[in-house]
Amino acid sequence: MFNLSSLVQKAQSLIDPTQALNLSASDRNPAKSTLFRHQFRLPDSQTPLQEITAELTISPPIQYSPNATQGEKDRDRDRGYHYAGKLHLSESYLCFSTQPTSFLQTASTSTSSGFTGQTHGAGPGGNGFTLPLCAIRRVERLHSQSYQFALAITTWNGISNNSANETSKTPAYQQKITIQLAGSRQACERFCDGLKRGLKSGVGDVGKLKRVVAECYSEYLLQGDGKKSGEPPDAGLGMLFRYPGDARKLRDRSKMRLWGEYLRENGRNVTLIRQPTFHKLIRVGLPNRLRGEIWEQTSGSLFLRLEHPTQYAETLAKYEGRDSLAIDEIEKDLNRSLPEYPGFQSEEGIGRLRRVLTAYSWTNEEVGYCQAMNIVVAALLIYMSESQAFFLLSTLCDRLLPGYYSTTMYGTLLDQRVFESLVEKTMPILWEHLVKSDVQLSVVSLPWFLSLYINSMPLVFAFRVLDVFFLEGPKVLFQVGLAILRINGEELLDATDDGAFISVLKGYFSKLDESAHPTSTNAKLRAVTRFQELMVVAFKEFSGITQSSISEQRMKHKDTVLNSIESFAKRTSIRNLGPDSKRLSTDDLGALYDRFYAILYERQMRSQMIQEETERRMKASKARAAEVVNGLGETQSVEKGRVGLGPSPTLMDYDGFREFLAGIARWAITDSPTPPEKDPASDRDKHSYFGNSVRRREVSLSPWGAGNPEPADHEFMQRLFRRWDVDMQNALTLQNVVTGIAHIKGKGDIMGSITYFFELYDDDGDGKVDREGILRISEALLFLSRRGLEGSLTPSTSMTGLSEYEAGNGGQTDGPQGTTNERFLSSVSAFIRRCFEYADPDHPQNQEAPGDSGHTDTPDPSALDVGEDSDEEEDLLDLGPEASPKRGKKSTGLPSNPPASGKQENGNQRSVSKAQAEAANAALDPSKPLHITLPTFRMVVLADELLEQFFESSFPASFRISDKLTPPGPASSSSSLTTFSNIGFNRASAASSQAASIVGSSAAGVVPPGKGLRGVLDNIVTDGMRVAAEVRRRMDEAQKELEKNAVHRPGDDEEDEEEGYDGTHTSSTYGGDAERRSVRSEDRDLLEGADAEAMSIRGQEGVSEVKTSTLSPTTPTSAEPGRARSISTATQKVVEFEQ
Amino acid sequence: MAEATAPKPSSSVKLVLLGEAAVGKSSLVLRFVNNDFQENKEPTIGAAFLTQKCNLPTRTIKFEIWDTAGQERFASLAPMYYRNAQSALVVYDLTKPTSLIKAKHWVAELQRQASPGIVIALVGNKLDLTNETSSSNPLGEDGDGEAAEGEDADGDARKISTAEAKSYAEEEGLLFFETSAKLGTNVTEVFTAIANAIPETSLKGARGPGASQASAGRTEDQSRVNLTGPRDNASKEGCGC
Repeated sequence: MFNLSSLVQKAQSLIDPTQALNLSASDRNPAKSTLFRHQFRLPDSQTPLQEITAELTISPPIQYSPNATQGEKDRDRDRGYHYAGKLHLSESYLCFSTQPTSFLQTASTSTSSGFTGQTHGAGPGGNGFTLPLCAIRRVERLHSQSYQFALAITTWNGISNNSANETSKTPAYQQKITIQLAGSRQACERFCDGLKRGLKSGVGDVGKLKRVVAECYSEYLLQGDGKKSGEPPDAGLGMLFRYPGDARKLRDRSKMRLWGEYLRENGRNVTLIRQPTFHKLIRVGLPNRLRGEIWEQTSGSLFLRLEHPTQYAETLAKYEGRDSLAIDEIEKDLNRSLPEYPGFQSEEGIGRLRRVLTAYSWTNEEVGYCQAMNIVVAALLIYMSESQAFFLLSTLCDRLLPGYYSTTMYGTLLDQRVFESLVEKTMPILWEHLVKSDVQLSVVSLPWFLSLYINSMPLVFAFRVLDVFFLEGPKVLFQVGLAILRINGEELLDATDDGAFISVLKGYFSKLDESAHPTSTNAKLRAVTRFQELMVVAFKEFSGITQSSISEQRMKHKDTVLNSIESFAKRTSIRNLGPDSKRLSTDDLGALYDRFYAILYERQMRSQMIQEETERRMKASKARAAEVVNGLGETQSVEKGRVGLGPSPTLMDYDGFREFLAGIARWAITDSPTPPEKDPASDRDKHSYFGNSVRRREVSLSPWGAGNPEPADHEFMQRLFRRWDVDMQNALTLQNVVTGIAHIKGKGDIMGSITYFFELYDDDGDGKVDREGILRISEALLFLSRRGLEGSLTPSTSMTGLSEYEAGNGGQTDGPQGTTNERFLSSVSAFIRRCFEYADPDHPQNQEAPGDSGHTDTPDPSALDVGEDSDEEEDLLDLGPEASPKRGKKSTGLPSNPPASGKQENGNQRSVSKAQAEAANAALDPSKPLHITLPTFRMVVLADELLEQFFESSFPASFRISDKLTPPGPASSSSSLTTFSNIGFNRASAASSQAASIVGSSAAGVVPPGKGLRGVLDNIVTDGMRVAAEVRRRMDEAQKELEKNAVHRPGDDEEDEEEGYDGTHTSSTYGGDAERRSVRSEDRDLLEGADAEAMSIRGQEGVSEVKTSTLSPTTPTSAEPGRARSISTATQKVVEFEQ
Repeated sequence: MAEATAPKPSSSVKLVLLGEAAVGKSSLVLRFVNNDFQENKEPTIGAAFLTQKCNLPTRTIKFEIWDTAGQERFASLAPMYYRNAQSALVVYDLTKPTSLIKAKHWVAELQRQASPGIVIALVGNKLDLTNETSSSNPLGEDGDGEAAEGEDADGDARKISTAEAKSYAEEEGLLFFETSAKLGTNVTEVFTAIANAIPETSLKGARGPGASQASAGRTEDQSRVNLTGPRDNASKEGCGC
């Protein structure tokens, strides 16, 4: 049984173990570039191009002295700080980190993800810098004795001040860093070449850089003392409405001084170098006016802003005046975001909040707006400008809190689960107590995470947590949460219900500024506040909580969480399907839901894969020219379409619909051979199918996915699609599908079925189906029945006589199924004829027309039995001889003379056509337009027992939803399973194997007795379709003739035509359409029919290689059936192997 | 522990509020707990937790109220909050037809997924926006949407007739009230009715100091007997899964 758990399994391979929630489409070996970006907090455009071991020397800032001797320069280098680490180069960044991480393709995952372990307060970037190449002013290669390869980098530090007093002047604080490269000369040269290229392309971005840093408060702060010019840049609402907390108590002034010193020596904003003091300064809390800028720097949102400095303003301008659901939701919450802060009681503050939230909702419509974002953004806006807050919000949603604010909030739920498991691990006694007293931890901790402690703790403390959070990442939220529980452990152990539990914590948060040890005699200890204690506990006691341990836990719980969300979504969705859904069982609805979304998901994954593959191929060819290391360039793609992860596609297009039908109805699977595109190795490799290993493998670019049965594309399916698409949006929702199925399956009465079918073909809804429609209906009937009929079509007494007759004629007794199929064909033939007989002429002067046919034209249903019998007989007389000899011949496996049988069949075929032609003679006269109405249609259907049964049971039953497809015959049951890689699509595979079994056995039928029936019958059905095609063709021809000749002589024309078709007309008229071949080519088809079928299986199964000669070589009919047989037996062999 | 002078047993009852955004869930709670009304209430992140006692003639019920966020995407968090809830208040806005649909979904969800025997009250809020007084509804027919719309002509913002909601409530075995959190109409009544409808048996396992005594107070009051009838049926259905 197919269900979403198979998707879950599949999703496993997509998850990146170190960044579990970023869901990059990678398997267990996460993309190096993702890790690289995470370590240095770089935008998604960056990939690691080169890296080299290096030593960084930071000298104290020097006055620019162009005349300094070489010796002086060397001395400068000896002074200052030295850091050993790795230097990385991406497209537009030069990064240095003391973390010994490597992002080479050859590096192991642990080396690449080393930064997610213990960072000792330095954050993932470690000590070092993340320098945009456009911020580098000059790079000099130093010649020295001690180092072979040393670079002196001069940055655009203080660029905005420069612009104020002309560029030619020397900046007051010139930043110069020296880097010694360690590596072979060649490696160093290569790195320098790369750097040179990057620098060249970075030159153009200097303008952007200027603009971006101008918004940084540090630029203003570091302006020459005393001569500060101009307005300070926007450092948040705090500048207008004061910053929260008592500045004196927060010692804001001295913090500012310390930061001023640090920035002076180590660069600012984009040119900042992270030394240990930097991290210490962050731990003690940021000064108000620099807080926003440092947040921006440590989180990496600064780099996003550098990439698109105008994106915020552009987004606002672009969507000005537009409305959306998100905007409605935002409006509701604007007045209630940090209402205690004066800035948000003013229009100014509310306006900023509105703009930032709105702009973000437009840039990420999938997330839109989630409550809690208002609180977070309000907090950000106290310290930073709108544009800064906008980019920081993006960074939060995309990278730091992935999935927290998504429409399913899976990130939030997952992290709650992770938090619980961490509590269980680190505080087992407390955990046990919680379980025993039935307190659900997440109801308490969820707001902590969702709004980053902002509305749980007093603001001043929440901001201290944020300071560290932006530097160190999401693990901080866990560490603080655990510390809160640890500190309050004893009191919590006394709390026995949610209420008490919550009030303990509420009380604690309100006393965070009090002394942690009020009774201590030690004054120093007394001075320690509870918040300081919290920080110490969080980062010392829980230092073992690292990003990688959290990722590991996320991996572990992801499935459970997603499954519960999905089952919730499914439950809700099914419940909301409306009254039509009541006609189907809950199981059916569940199965429909699963199938519907599975197909959408599958299709999305497939198109993404195909796209990636195309890109990869393009890139690969480009890469060779550009010397880009292959494999590094792949872009991070996100697992999409899974219901639990947020908005997933909800509309199914026509191709999706075909695929959907192919999964539930046998007739919807194509007959035409699919090209054997798969290489067997890739099929076996199921797990990497969706993984990013794709990039290393050739994948099939088939739109149906390797191994899935290719759906047919019949006019009937198009009609069905249009009928179901009640909203006329050229796509179906789950609701449409359920309603559609419910109308077919749920009614369970034959009249409903007949009416439904009739309406499908009543294009203009006038209650009439014209000649064209009648032919289309009969084609559809044959199309639907060509793989046999569902349900039990019991041979009736009236039919028995015919069967006997037939049996006598052919000397062969058929199984009931076979008889049914043959009979169905004749029923359809009779159907066409009767339709024309009883059709109402469109014009009164044509009333006489039906009489010309020479058949009984009694419209009285009671008299139909007689007429029917004669009709049937006539048909069967034609068909019987055709079918029987073949059957006899094949079941015995005796060789027969191919030309002879061909002639015979040809003759039969012709006589069928002739009978048809005669029957439809008058009706075919295009000068006499006619139509049938629903009552006529109903009458014609009910006149035939088989058709009646078809509409009563087999048509509705052919849609198999949750009732399993009948187990395929053992002979060919698993043929598809072995060769199809259907990745969890058991249903699809069942369907395909079913299909294969039918077709397969028809092929096999050439030789083994008993199985020949199917093949023969299939041929007959195919013939039937040709008959219909023939009638159609004739109509067209007649039309043409009519146009040509003023005088119309139907009888002669028909005869002449018949002759004509044997010749050249054939290919020109029907070339390319297998089902519409004319008589002559049919001869060959009849002989080779089995082979054609075999070819089609072969195509479907991709077993073309399995051309064995293990089978009896006696296939005298022709070489073709022999091959067909060999394939069928090969299939059987595979089955045996499987079993 | 309860003193000798106050022999009334007391027990805790977990109550969860569910419903579409902006139907007035938080306002109902605020009215019940603080007898207050605010135009701009802070948004509920996840859920808010409040408690309030409800004095019945025979016992005291301490409501532990989980007021959930209404935004659609928070719906997937709801199971966390209605877990173990003995009662639920499903709120809709009687001026907004979609909110009743959402309320019905919540009722179905609770009946299938929440603890069996949960007492559910359907509450139509914002009665103050209609121009009628209390429960005298001129509409006689049951649940006819067209007829309800006809009422609009009198400048009445009501979109969901009392009869429509009531018949649905009866069908599902729910308590039913129309309230105004703004004016305080019927708010305490809702909670009292729920308190009365909580069967003694489900208080047995209740937490808190009154739990052991709850089973001792066996005195039945009339209303409870009446109210439990249909609800028991509903809970039986709920057990189905």
